[in-house]
Amino acid sequence: MKFKAFLTDHGVNLLEKRFLPALDKMGKTCHLYLTRDHAIFLHNLLNGDGIQSIAQFQKEALFEDYRISSQNDDRIAFTIDLSLLQRALRSVLTIYTEFGGSIGGDATANRLQIKLVKKTPPHSNQPMPFLTFETKGYKSAVIQDVPISKPLSRTDVLELQSALDMAQDLPQTLVQVPDMNQLQSFVDRMKHVGDVLNVSITKYGDLHLQISTSLITLGAEFRKLKVIGEQARVPPGDENLTAQTRTRRAIDKGDAMSVQVSVKHFFKSIQCHLAKPDCAFYGIAQQGSCLTVVFQFFIPGTRQTDKSISLHCRLPVLVDSGTN
Amino acid sequence: MSSSAVETESPDLVCELDNVQGMVDALTSVRWKRHQDAVLELSEHGIVLIVEDTGCLQAKVYLQRELFVRYEYSAHGRPRFGVSLGLFVDCLNTFCIPGHSGPIEFQYPGPDMQLLLKSTDSLSSCTYAEIRTRIPDTISWDYNFEPAGSTPISFTVKSSALKEAIDDLEWPGSSIQITLQPTPPSVTFKGEGHGDLQIDFMYYANMDLLTAFNCDQVVSHRYKYKFLRATTSNIPSSVIKDNRGSKLTIGRGGMLKVQHLVSVAKPSNSHQHIDSVGQPPSRIAYIEFFVKPQVDEENAYDS
Repeated sequence: MKFKAFLTDHGVNLLEKRFLPALDKMGKTCHLYLTRDHAIFLHNLLNGDGIQSIAQFQKEALFEDYRISSQNDDRIAFTIDLSLLQRALRSVLTIYTEFGGSIGGDATANRLQIKLVKKTPPHSNQPMPFLTFETKGYKSAVIQDVPISKPLSRTDVLELQSALDMAQDLPQTLVQVPDMNQLQSFVDRMKHVGDVLNVSITKYGDLHLQISTSLITLGAEFRKLKVIGEQARVPPGDENLTAQTRTRRAIDKGDAMSVQVSVKHFFKSIQCHLAKPDCAFYGIAQQGSCLTVVFQFFIPGTRQTDKSISLHCRLPVLVDSGTN
Repeated sequence: MSSSAVETESPDLVCELDNVQGMVDALTSVRWKRHQDAVLELSEHGIVLIVEDTGCLQAKVYLQRELFVRYEYSAHGRPRFGVSLGLFVDCLNTFCIPGHSGPIEFQYPGPDMQLLLKSTDSLSSCTYAEIRTRIPDTISWDYNFEPAGSTPISFTVKSSALKEAIDDLEWPGSSIQITLQPTPPSVTFKGEGHGDLQIDFMYYANMDLLTAFNCDQVVSHRYKYKFLRATTSNIPSSVIKDNRGSKLTIGRGGMLKVQHLVSVAKPSNSHQHIDSVGQPPSRIAYIEFFVKPQVDEENAYDS
């Protein structure tokens, strides 16, 4: 199996300044899944417990001269430690940026190469796989090896791919988060009050968050949010009801769904805004199987979706409250 | 809203506060343990929150009705109920989001004797909370503070200096001896335990530090360090920034009263007096601690 590519400046920026810090919050290690057309960072897709996240890049968004080959349909996947990856990238960047562009008109510009290698580490006689970064500086060259797991077998890659296919299902109704920073502050403080968060989403564009323990019920309701997908009109006479009553009525009518998730997972999902998305949407998957948050990125300077980047998370549901 | 229907009586209290951060600061100053049960007393004058520890330490937070933008009191008598202090403060904290500047409405009791909170941020978002209350099982210990003599023995010291002094005297399990003497007018804090450390505040030496002093006889008492520490450990940073003073009074039998003032004003408010001391009294919450003196071992078995 072979993988070699050169990171573009745009790719470096996307990873180092935006996505790697965000993905680091999702979990220490993740799968990196490379195919002919995509590079995908996957968290918790093969084990059921934690928050799942999928960050998918079309190869052109990150790389140029992308070459991949393997006996498994040119697909390669392995696990990698994100803090080691970030550290290695930062380290090569300090050298790479010393030497930006070509010297004295010479056409050969400096490049940041990334490739898969097998090396024998100093205190061992077993060759191990690494993801290696290489670049030149003014006076020095640098190689950073990031240890990775043994690449996944054909069966495991198939399993990963089907988990990925299943995770691409979008909820029928998604509501837009009005202010990620405000939501983050709120949930950060809510964490001290309880562990379980009820999330209700209506087709009218309401997002209702609530923590309920034996000692306290604490909630926040955001209404009139932008809706993507199935919508419905707000029934008349709803204005003076409490948030709880409004939500209950909407659920009874089939216009809303409600699930319970871990507050900590919810807080983690908000931290994806370190990737600097332009919008975020929450939705509940069919049958209340999970809570999904989808981040949207615009082509800079426009309001058109940049389809070469996608990021979404799926939060496991604690109790399928369904129409509770 | 409240009509002539039998079930819908006016709640005992509906009040509205425009700066929750101030209330959070005031209540945080009486948090010294992870789990504390507080008692709230409502009256037409305002709200008092009381916390106690093992009969040796009591703290009270006075939130006068003038602090509130609206205060509608219709109870008969003075309702009292218990809440978990930590939970109450953590809950209030969720209403303190930057950019979330609407007033908070409190209501007691709710349909199930809960304390209800609500904030309407805008036409399209709101935050709410319902906190379970309990019937307090003990009457709050009335510390019945009485002056030691004809003139109260007291001094006022800069809050930051008091906090620093107590922090410096930290010796686990030890006690602190506070001595006031009229000549020269001074206050001494002495830590006894492993070794000896003494901190003196001289009245005429530095008028910025010790801003008031009243003492006509030598008075000296010892207090358990952890209780004394509780009186300053969570002084909000606004008190330090506002350069406020704390007043300490020694009453009969050596009972110590420590008083702090916490600003509850909105920071960007257009008040007439915005200098360090000149806050209108209605924008201040009063905090009081009562600390029982340590009884000497020899007298331990006396009455």
